[in-house]
Amino acid sequence: MAKKKVLIIDDDQDILETTGALLGYEGFEVYSADTVEEGMKMIDEVEPDIILLDIMFPEKKTRGFDAASEIKAKHPHLPILALTAINREYAFDFAKEDIQAEEFINKPVETERLIELINKYV
Amino acid sequence: MLPESKIDSSEYTDLNRVIGWFITLRWIAFLGVVVTLLIVNFLLNYVLPYSILYILTSVLFLINSFFTYYYAVVKQKNLLRKEMSVFFHVQVCTDYLLLFLLIYFTGFLENPFCYYFVFHIMLTSFIFPASVVFIYVTILVVVFIGVAFAEYLQLLPHFALKVARISPGLYEDLVIIRVVGLCSTIIISAYLITSIKNRIVERGKRVEVELNRYKSLDKIKSNFILQVTHELRGPLAALKGYHEMIMKGITGEIPEKTRDTLKKANQRTSNLLTMIDEMIDFAYMRSEEEVEYTKTELNIKEALDYNINQVGAFSRQKGIRFIPSCPRELKIWSNRDLLNIILNNLFTNSIKYSPPDTKVLINAIDNGKEVELTVKDEGYGIEPEELDKVFEEFYRTRKAREVEKDGTGLGLPIVKRAVESLGGKITVYSEINRGTSFHITLPKDK
Repeated sequence: MAKKKVLIIDDDQDILETTGALLGYEGFEVYSADTVEEGMKMIDEVEPDIILLDIMFPEKKTRGFDAASEIKAKHPHLPILALTAINREYAFDFAKEDIQAEEFINKPVETERLIELINKYV
Repeated sequence: MLPESKIDSSEYTDLNRVIGWFITLRWIAFLGVVVTLLIVNFLLNYVLPYSILYILTSVLFLINSFFTYYYAVVKQKNLLRKEMSVFFHVQVCTDYLLLFLLIYFTGFLENPFCYYFVFHIMLTSFIFPASVVFIYVTILVVVFIGVAFAEYLQLLPHFALKVARISPGLYEDLVIIRVVGLCSTIIISAYLITSIKNRIVERGKRVEVELNRYKSLDKIKSNFILQVTHELRGPLAALKGYHEMIMKGITGEIPEKTRDTLKKANQRTSNLLTMIDEMIDFAYMRSEEEVEYTKTELNIKEALDYNINQVGAFSRQKGIRFIPSCPRELKIWSNRDLLNIILNNLFTNSIKYSPPDTKVLINAIDNGKEVELTVKDEGYGIEPEELDKVFEEFYRTRKAREVEKDGTGLGLPIVKRAVESLGGKITVYSEINRGTSFHITLPKDK
């Protein structure tokens, strides 16, 4: 069976490195992008099975929010796991309706749980 | 929460402006007196003690010049509270006295301008509390009656309002002065009442603006805390990731000792994360104090299971068994976040402050209007004298500090706030070395 392809889009290089390494270690094929633009390009290039998208980009607060819609518009069937460092629903209820993502995950996420979720959608 | 002094200070600014307004009104009054005197003296030829009247007018001029100088130059339009009060009294007394003398020397009760006292009463009422106004009014009434009697008994001379030459026509029967007196009274009343009204409306608006400013400041502050705590979680996430990488041997083989060390480091990182979360919750609850939390229908059993599951790793590690007892169909209208915060905090506490291999009993029952929830552990317990402090912000019991080095002392205050935001109540019972029991009641319906 071919390895599942995961694309991580996050502006934090360390998160890219650690999540990438941990998922790679667990047998996933991991790609990473540190800007939404680059991420959009890579979707076309590598055709990932699932996307881990940080939705809090510093340059523009809502950048990650929009990115989810952008991706969904072009690839409606590509599952997105939205990553956020805010770990309470309340801080987020307002955004959930607008962000088209399959799941919302708080950082730091346990690798086991992440794998569970990836396997759920892919 | 609104600092009272701030609202006060807006009222204070208001009063400072009122002083300016009073001084302006007095200048207008001065001009009015001068013009009227000149007309009465040279056009209408009234017989009056003009030298006294001109002296009084000059006194008015000098006094108001002094007021203007004191207010605008010396105090830069900004008087201290105490000075302001004294200044108001000085102004009011001077005005009453001068008006009284002017009226007295121009016919007293005959003079239609004696109704101008009404304006003074309006302004006095505007700035002073009822008791002070009452004193002024009483003095005024007593003086009026007293002087009227004194004139009647000829203890005081009466300066009649009369025309010098007996000539036919309008001048004779004082019609002009009466018409002017009446009309000006009507116009000035309208002006004063409307401008007082406007000032009150304006004051209300300013208070509202100030209120909103405080509300938005509070929001900015809590957004700031949310932002900061959010920024703190990022690096911690990376830190935990690196720990995990090393522990899993992704970076190469590691000796057992290093693994142990790393485990400790990881544990402290997790503690730090929990503390940050508590601060986020705390900040959030402070900021949303008056917000209505959206309520949905929640199944209590599911909520209990979910939260037991959430703390599963921690409880297994310590060998603590959660035994929930709850009717499967027990439902409640509540806010999911707050309920989770309550349960998660209580469960985590039970694990943290209990010896290994003990039980936590959770009991939920329906008493008709409310859901009663009890979380009872077999933990270390809380000293009686510390029991009422556990809900205080940042308070940590001696035992808690001993057992768990890291902690914000915000866990239970958050729980209490959350319970109260949901319209419920929380109580705690504890026995040293026997365990602690939290009892919560939450309203069931919308």
